[in-house]
Amino acid sequence: MLMSGTTRRRTLAILSGLSLAAMGWSCQTEAASKPARIVAIVQSLDTEYNVLWANAAKAHPALSDGTATLTILDGRMDALNQSNQFDTALSQKFDAVIFIPVDINAGNDPVQRAKSAAVPVIGSNTLISNTSLYASYINSDDVQAGSILAKSVLDRIGGKGNVVIVEGMIGQSAQVQRLQGIQETLKAYPTVKVLETKTANWSRAEAQSLVENWITEHHGEINGVIAENDEMAVGALNAVKAQGLDPAKVAIAGIDGITDALLAVKRGESTSTLQDADAQAQGAIDLALRKVIGEGYAPRAAVWDVNGGKLAWAGGTAQHYSVPWIPVTMQNVDKLLAMRKSQ
Amino acid sequence: MSIVTSKSRVSSNTLAATIGHYLSTYGIVLSFVILFVVLSFANPNFLTSINLLNVLRQLSINGILAIGMTFVILTGGIDLSIGSILAVAGVVTGSLVTQQDPHNPLIAALAAVGVGAAFGAVNGALISRFRVPAFVATLGMLSIARGSTLLYSGGRPIPNLTPEFRWLGNGFVAGLPVPIIVFAIVFVLSWVVLRFSVYGRWLYAVGGNSRSARTSGIPVRTMIFSAYVIMGALAGLAGLVLTARTTSALPQAGLGYELDAIAAVVIGGTSLSGGVGSVFFTLIGALIIGTISNGLDLMGVSSYYQQIIKGTIIIAAVLIDRMRNIDP
Repeated sequence: MLMSGTTRRRTLAILSGLSLAAMGWSCQTEAASKPARIVAIVQSLDTEYNVLWANAAKAHPALSDGTATLTILDGRMDALNQSNQFDTALSQKFDAVIFIPVDINAGNDPVQRAKSAAVPVIGSNTLISNTSLYASYINSDDVQAGSILAKSVLDRIGGKGNVVIVEGMIGQSAQVQRLQGIQETLKAYPTVKVLETKTANWSRAEAQSLVENWITEHHGEINGVIAENDEMAVGALNAVKAQGLDPAKVAIAGIDGITDALLAVKRGESTSTLQDADAQAQGAIDLALRKVIGEGYAPRAAVWDVNGGKLAWAGGTAQHYSVPWIPVTMQNVDKLLAMRKSQ
Repeated sequence: MSIVTSKSRVSSNTLAATIGHYLSTYGIVLSFVILFVVLSFANPNFLTSINLLNVLRQLSINGILAIGMTFVILTGGIDLSIGSILAVAGVVTGSLVTQQDPHNPLIAALAAVGVGAAFGAVNGALISRFRVPAFVATLGMLSIARGSTLLYSGGRPIPNLTPEFRWLGNGFVAGLPVPIIVFAIVFVLSWVVLRFSVYGRWLYAVGGNSRSARTSGIPVRTMIFSAYVIMGALAGLAGLVLTARTTSALPQAGLGYELDAIAAVVIGGTSLSGGVGSVFFTLIGALIIGTISNGLDLMGVSSYYQQIIKGTIIIAAVLIDRMRNIDP
């Protein structure tokens, strides 16, 4: 926390507007004497993935040894609120911002403001449309996620039959790109018919009602449910069971690897693919610290190749890092569930 | 500054009760001052001009909504549909100022206010002419306006708005952010109207006792109708500022905003049964909500606690008011 007087803060504020060089200098001197101050502006702490992300971020070793401090601000699924939180972060003189935007377009402007104030923004998980504004970003390829989802369902229904698609909140990068991946994959299967496509806003409860209604409408005709996240896949699974259908006969797939989805995989009722929250959160903190501290910073997250992981650190200066998806299988599901208990 | 207490005049409360009432309402101002001082000491970045401007800009949208809500609540009504009206006005105005189809921002602004006022007029007509309870009429409108928003936008955000339009959310005039200026104008106009005009006096009279207002020749139904039109127009204005601020028109905008607006009015001591209150105290209520959420964000307090704290303050504000009024 800054302990200097109001006058100095005002002076700094003016300097940051006028001179990038002055700002760079002030960041460096602060980093040398005090912990780097990082703020993470996340989508919503009402969703399990964001909570897992936040917990992983808080467990980063650089926080416990005093290299950095982390403040997490809850975007509450409101793009305006996130924009406001950027202003707060900038007036607070944080050294770096990690951002999980609510909206793919509305996120551009706040990131631009941070960039103008010479505060680096690291993207994580979902993205803004203008990724060149990021100092660096780390996510998992959502187009690939869409194709993994579609393939998983298509494999289980033998490449023919009828499917429905449950979409995420319209306008978010995960929804836009996962749908793209789903549609690209479905093109290769002209005999597969998409009966319905509709959003359930990432919500389990909404997906449950939606799929129940679809089952009523298309009774006995739905062979597969492609859900753009696990919350909705679990909702779809609940709907299938509630309508008295056998989950083994309806292929349901989701993505993210939330706890209930892992349990459903273990019961053989659906498939899921883990989005590595640890890697995205801790990786983002490493990238932020690399920007603030400089070349001398050694990354701490397990995901990096320098620490025995699968992702190339490449000096921490690449613009984009793509965290691999981890398919949830009967072989690894117990291990993943055990890990979840400690998260 | 004093508040208009036509209700207490009408029901000829005792002097002690009136003093108690003044104490409880000015207690809110005192609470705000204490909150402000505590935050200034607790966080070295709170009392900076940049942060204070941020706080004001952040609360300007809720502030505009809360002022409209004061009009409605003064008549003894409520409006639950404003978050949805904000959204529908936002997508309509957004669609008028895309890079592909760039209209003058002024036209977009008029459209936003007009759309808001139109939805407000439907609320007002249902409540004043057809006697549908305000809670029910506006609950229905909450759903209708949200559905209209999704229908109009196809459920998708409208991006790529023109820079001239975005200035309404992100621009500055004489060092002040535009949303703050809009909020300030709305506040001053409402304060003057409610405090000094015949319209204002009638509105208080309607909320205080609609039967005696009617016998004294006040057009009660028109007054109630007008409060919802003003609320709708202000919700449209808030939608305009929000859309410019988020730089794309979002169909999910404004979810739950009615609750913060009602909270600001209630914290400000305006009576939910109508006739007592003032936009000045609504401003204090909005300042308290905005300052708390900024201050707690600055101090890194979890958003889970923030919701509990906000709810506690709403209940405490009313509770203190009740206890003071019962005591003497």
